[in-house]
Amino acid sequence: MSPVRPSPKIQLFEQIMLPHLDAAYNLARWLTRNPQDAQDVVQESYLRALRFFDSFLGGDGRAWLLAIVRNTCRTLHQRERGALEVPFDETVHHAGEAVNAEAGLERDAAYAGLRNCLQALPVEYREVLVMREMEEMAYKEISYAAGLPVGTVMSRLSRARRRLLDCVAGRKKGAAQ
Amino acid sequence: MNCESARNLEDAFLDDELDASARAQFEEHLAECGACAEEHGRLGELRTGIRNGALYYRAPAQLRDRISAHLRQVEPGGGAWRRVAIAAAILLAVSLAWNAAQLRSRETQLADSVLASHIRSLMGTHLMDVASTDQHTVKPWFNGKLDFSPDVKDFAADGFPLIGGRLDYLNGRAAAALVYRRRQHIINLFTWPEAANPAGADVSRNGYQAIHWSQGGMEYWAVSDVSAGDLRQFEDLYRR
Repeated sequence: MSPVRPSPKIQLFEQIMLPHLDAAYNLARWLTRNPQDAQDVVQESYLRALRFFDSFLGGDGRAWLLAIVRNTCRTLHQRERGALEVPFDETVHHAGEAVNAEAGLERDAAYAGLRNCLQALPVEYREVLVMREMEEMAYKEISYAAGLPVGTVMSRLSRARRRLLDCVAGRKKGAAQ
Repeated sequence: MNCESARNLEDAFLDDELDASARAQFEEHLAECGACAEEHGRLGELRTGIRNGALYYRAPAQLRDRISAHLRQVEPGGGAWRRVAIAAAILLAVSLAWNAAQLRSRETQLADSVLASHIRSLMGTHLMDVASTDQHTVKPWFNGKLDFSPDVKDFAADGFPLIGGRLDYLNGRAAAALVYRRRQHIINLFTWPEAANPAGADVSRNGYQAIHWSQGGMEYWAVSDVSAGDLRQFEDLYRR
């Protein structure tokens, strides 16, 4: 294939959307809980985003892109129904993925606990927490990206945090015994 | 503010989503309520824990390149789309040429079979099924033998006397052949109802001429070894 000079549209698209690649990948990674699925989701999301780019009205492209990532994850989820529905099994998630390989060195065991607890949260809680805590998005942005009323965003965040605190506390207790 | 309403506002406070007055009231309560302050502290720790970079998955380095390459391939006007467009244009041109060739060959095929039919009629004894110089004899003879009634005309006064008629089979259907004489030459006039897309091109081969026209929903092929001028004159007479 001969190198093709990108059109002005694609240059603009990349200029606006590629800076959010990490955000897209992080969300996809947390929603799919699998690095390969996350890459596939992100790639598919960017293709969709380009297709719908005319409907992007400007501003911060992150919430717009993350809405697409979220929907793409749900499509994948429906396609492989059950694959992500499997209830969290601590032994599996403990042994399963090489946590350190992807995120770099993880010295503090407390983060491992937190990671496992976050992974174990239902996806409805996981998505709002990732957007709020890792992307530091405002309720309004999360509301847009997740397609939820602002009130629901707040109540889900609240419940997600309580469950997370309980999970971490439980693990600490378990480790101490 | 009591503890219950404080608990309801805790997350909004943490997330900086409270308006100034609610925030002030919440801070006031936090300063005087140990339990709520403790809860707030735990949420703050949780936040610090999550926001620690260790939980953030950065995109693998090759993903950006892969996406960039992919976007260029699918983008309209670029990469794959451009190649698809070029391929489509080539395909269209080929298909047009092929169709033209098909049409062309259909035309010449028909002319060939008309010429062959004419020559066959001269070779044996089967020039005419009905031999008559009377158009009022020839025309009724076709009744019941064809699903159309050919327009039988006599041009004896103009040097093209009708001498008879014959059934023939052309272009995949039964056709009428009207036989005329021009001096010592025979003219076969083949006719059948016009097809949906009549095709015809005059041909001249081995001393024979075939000319084609459509008129009144019928197709006509006049074939003879007379001169092209004579055949045109015959056509003019018939079309008149």
